[in-house]
Amino acid sequence: MSDTAHVHDEPETPAEISRRTFMTQVTVIAGTIVGLGVAIPVLGGLVPSKDILDAGKPKWYPLNADEFEQFEKAAADPMKITFPKTTVDGYLMSESNDYVWGVKMTPDQEAQFKADRPDLFQVPHGDVKYEVPVTYENIGIALFSPICPHLGCRFNWNKDEQQFLCPCHGSTYTKFGKHMAGPANRGLDPLPFQDKSGIAQVTWINFEQTTADRLIVSYT
Amino acid sequence: MLNWIEERTGGISALKNFLTEDVPGGASYWYVFGSATLIALVIQIVTGIFLTFYYAPSSATAWESTKFIYDHVSGGAFLLSMHFWGASAMIALMTMHLLQVMIWGAYKKPREIMWVIGVILFLLTLVLGLTGYLLPWDLNAYSASAVSIKIAGDIPIVGPAQANFLQDGLQMGTLTINRFFGIHVWLIPIMLLGLVGLHLAVFRHNGAAGPPADETPRKFGRFFPDQIFMDTVASLVTFLVIVSLAVWMPAPLLAKADPTNSAFVPSPAWYFFPLFGLLNLLPGNMFSVGSFAVSGELIGTAIVPAVFVAILMFLPWIDRNRKRALNQRPYFIGLTLLSVVAVFGLGWYGASSVQAHIAASGGAGQTPVRGYGAAPAGAQEAAAAGGGTASNPVALGQAVYSQNCTSCHSANGSGVPNLAPPLDGNPFVTGDAAKVIAVLDNGLHGQAVMGKSYSTQMPAWKGQLTPSQVANVISYIRGSWSNHAGAVTEAQVKAAK
Repeated sequence: MSDTAHVHDEPETPAEISRRTFMTQVTVIAGTIVGLGVAIPVLGGLVPSKDILDAGKPKWYPLNADEFEQFEKAAADPMKITFPKTTVDGYLMSESNDYVWGVKMTPDQEAQFKADRPDLFQVPHGDVKYEVPVTYENIGIALFSPICPHLGCRFNWNKDEQQFLCPCHGSTYTKFGKHMAGPANRGLDPLPFQDKSGIAQVTWINFEQTTADRLIVSYT
Repeated sequence: MLNWIEERTGGISALKNFLTEDVPGGASYWYVFGSATLIALVIQIVTGIFLTFYYAPSSATAWESTKFIYDHVSGGAFLLSMHFWGASAMIALMTMHLLQVMIWGAYKKPREIMWVIGVILFLLTLVLGLTGYLLPWDLNAYSASAVSIKIAGDIPIVGPAQANFLQDGLQMGTLTINRFFGIHVWLIPIMLLGLVGLHLAVFRHNGAAGPPADETPRKFGRFFPDQIFMDTVASLVTFLVIVSLAVWMPAPLLAKADPTNSAFVPSPAWYFFPLFGLLNLLPGNMFSVGSFAVSGELIGTAIVPAVFVAILMFLPWIDRNRKRALNQRPYFIGLTLLSVVAVFGLGWYGASSVQAHIAASGGAGQTPVRGYGAAPAGAQEAAAAGGGTASNPVALGQAVYSQNCTSCHSANGSGVPNLAPPLDGNPFVTGDAAKVIAVLDNGLHGQAVMGKSYSTQMPAWKGQLTPSQVANVISYIRGSWSNHAGAVTEAQVKAAK
């Protein structure tokens, strides 16, 4: 500081020093207020909000009436049943057809279903924590999500082998969704079904992939 | 006039100082990598700004607007490809610059701060590469970025918050694109530009380091025009290489991202091959510290890179040897060269394991729709138009085939050993048309084809494809490659139902 060309007129009195200290402090405080005032809301806004991370509300979609009728009447094999699905992606909402796999069961087969899928009927694994009432018993019908619980491919029904087969990594499942072979860690994911005054309805659920437990990610 | 400007800005004398600066030891082509990186950066900024004039970041428009740039923007494919290759050029040149500074010992006192800023610039450029990779929203963009986000999310403690910040939602989607766009186009470039300015300002303060010798060189070269000339030559070569690559190997765009397609095998950008190789080399579970299991993934994706970056960042304080002459620093030079060999080896290993994974998947979805390796756009459009003037069933069938069949039977009809049978040279395909129609309609599984068995199920396409699409795709496979059987009509397909 000694070789600076500037000469300050102010005397180095305690009053003058305290005046300068005050000004310095005000500058620092004001700068901090402005900086934090911008940074806090900006950074806060970048944290995904509750709305964005919300799993959404379960929603009943009507299954295609013709297909469902055909399924109830005749389906010996599992059958794809379509329904109009609403997909929400951030601020984008789109309507498109999707499908579930419907499996029709005789009482005998229902016993087999029960034996095959302890994960659906035994507590605690039976408690999927659906927010909608879901029954598997004594309705003669099971609806499965078409998404393979391994890594999310869509699987197919193999009529000759009488099993579901995922083309991506070769996971196979029985007609009742029991995991047989391949890398998946759990059986097929059931979807809630209801008959609302004669209209068959399904609730769509996205489940966590790869996990052994069935965890709900979202309803859209 | 010049005086008038000088009085008011001091700019003329600053420019004079800049141009007449001494280059210790004389101008050299060894010094061109920094300025060539800067030229690549300028190309990235100009082409990047151009792309924002057309690109629209959302899951409904990202891929579509990128494809629009290829198809309907004058010079769009070229400029997009320059941006694609410019990124590679920038990272390659930056790596050369970094190695040159390391070997020359130019990071030593008093240039420590300049070095640290340089390492930060390098990391920011890698982040630019990573975030830019997602924006076209094609199969590779989606799947590769899903891997990046998963890696970020698997890091202990901070991982979930990081993944949440990057993904902004329960699944990757439109908000993820917006987020990567904001990071790629605003956040990182503005930090990068500020730090480049600082890097150069500190460089002006310290001056050039000169050759790696411990005595001050007696010879001094001139910055202008000697070094500027060499820098210009290097910049021109950089520019010409980027242009040549953009012209002859335009950036590939694959089919649009499809979250349900997990058969697709993503590949990272080449500059992440070493990390990928490291990840592939390490076993799943390595050892445990108490109840905390240390996985190969954690070591490969977090610990080793963090240690590597920390060593690089604090190099001036780790290597406290004041000598700069090469023969005074045998260990440092040896270790540096060893690291280069290790990184190259891991990169080579990473590249070959990506190739192996892709081959094992049968190359599902790897054929680009635009850019290097794609079929000529005219043929594709004609095939996709579905009627009108383009009613050639074989061309229409090719479009159906490339959308639905290539993932298993591959684009050249060769199939995948043990998974899906070949169609090329397959007598069943060229035989009875009714049987071929039946297989397409109803699917097939467990039947040996030409004496070999295949594990993948042929899906039933009835209901998913229209009868005319079934007819067209059969016509295509019966008359393509080495097959020469007759076409199939829509009427034949309908009759089979």
